Amino acid sequence: MPEAGQECPACHRRVRAGTRFCPGCGHNLVEPALAVAGAPLPAQAAELTAGKRFVQLWDELQRLAWLFGLLLATSFVFGIFWRGIRSPWLDVMQTVVMAAIILVALAQRFRRLEFIFRIHSSSAGEAAILVGIAVVFVALAGGYFALLRHLGVPIASATGIFDRAGWPLWSVLLLVSVAPAVFEELAFRGVIQSSLERMLNARDAWLIQAALFSVLHLSPLMFPSHFLMGLCFGYMRRRSRSIYPGMLLHGCWNALVVVGEL
Amino acid sequence: MDRKWELDEASTVTLRIGAFGKKVIAVNGKEVYSSRKMTRKNELDLALPDGRAATFSFTPQFIGRPTVHLRVAGNLIVETPKKPITCASCGAVAKPYDRFCAKCGKPMPTAEDYELRGNVTAATSAIKALAVLFVLGGLLMFAVTKSQNDAALVKLSAMQDEATYPRPIEGRTYTVGELRKQIEWEPWGVLIVNLILAAIMVALALWARRAPLPAVLIATATYLVLIVGAAIGDPRTLAQGWIIKLIVIAFLVKGIKAALALRTARA
Repeated sequence: MPEAGQECPACHRRVRAGTRFCPGCGHNLVEPALAVAGAPLPAQAAELTAGKRFVQLWDELQRLAWLFGLLLATSFVFGIFWRGIRSPWLDVMQTVVMAAIILVALAQRFRRLEFIFRIHSSSAGEAAILVGIAVVFVALAGGYFALLRHLGVPIASATGIFDRAGWPLWSVLLLVSVAPAVFEELAFRGVIQSSLERMLNARDAWLIQAALFSVLHLSPLMFPSHFLMGLCFGYMRRRSRSIYPGMLLHGCWNALVVVGEL
Repeated sequence: MDRKWELDEASTVTLRIGAFGKKVIAVNGKEVYSSRKMTRKNELDLALPDGRAATFSFTPQFIGRPTVHLRVAGNLIVETPKKPITCASCGAVAKPYDRFCAKCGKPMPTAEDYELRGNVTAATSAIKALAVLFVLGGLLMFAVTKSQNDAALVKLSAMQDEATYPRPIEGRTYTVGELRKQIEWEPWGVLIVNLILAAIMVALALWARRAPLPAVLIATATYLVLIVGAAIGDPRTLAQGWIIKLIVIAFLVKGIKAALALRTARA
């Protein structure tokens, strides 16, 4: 151990008594053979790389914020219209606007996201895991909604407006089941999850997209159920590296909701 | 209150900002500057006794006291905190100017790292403040809604459950029983929603200790969605408390940027 007032042999800085490493340069004062002197020198280069990477990530994060913001703004504008006009056509228009926003965001990154549109070969075990996730999801989400009904919580009808306007069942299934399944999966599990995976790590990207998916449904009582949905669909996307299993489960769940309300 | 920067074992710089913006700077206890004057860039240049050039820069903040940076020979100096600095790896106490831990040799955070951490902490505090606001707001709204709805229930008490309520509400016709159930549920719904939101914010604030970037990102998105959701119900709410909303959003966005910078620096 160095004594009080001793100098570091590498940087000549005066070190405090009892120190094992020089606080100025990191030189090992006890076992000089293991010295790591000079370690801070490459830090400048690393700092430059980190700075460049930060700019890239911040730009990508801003682009994702734009996507989320535009979807939120669309919900706001149509929500305001919804207060005065109660027509299924408003729902159709909202779906079209949201689809256009999502498709533009997807087109900007299509080369990077191409892999999610492929069907990757998987073993029987993998397929069984995906089916298992689907079963657990339906049981948990069904249980949550049953609990809400049991507590007397009013749940908004997804199909009532189409029913009152006399729209046929196929159009209801298309607008309530198929379209949200396709476009929400493209937005959240496609663009957002895949872009965040490149920026952060797979687990954080998975959690963030599930949270964004749940909050964008604008109903705090639905946050838990939609967070669960986001987790399940996101996990299926992670596991299968394809968007289709989640899209299929999402569409089936929405169809179950439609059938349940008939 | 004095702010302190330990440059090395021999030099300590202190700064005191008076009530009217007077700045008193002392080096090793000896006053070297006392005035309100600054350069156009809100900077103060001074020479240390050992000849090194030091620059104080003052950045006014949207809220609270200005951010003060001290640079010596171009390097940002770590401000001496109230609690002693410890090594994240071994817990040994270190000096603010140490670049490496004297006990385990691991690199210590730089002044820029400390500043970014400060921004993340501020964002986490904003999340905690939101949790408190949701609890208090929920209790207040519960009390107000309950008293209003109790009065409405008294009016309905003379009617039979099976009877149809004479006027449609938002284009829908209700039976008295359905309406009574909805009126009874409403204050509890308001309270439960606010408590769920408070619980989400508490969970996010706790998670922010381990993973600040996703936690602050989710908190920001949730808060924005709540503002928009409330505005769909009543557009006038957009203008209500907009200063507080802007301050919270500013803290959260600053926190996201800082957490991303910390993450890229560590990667």
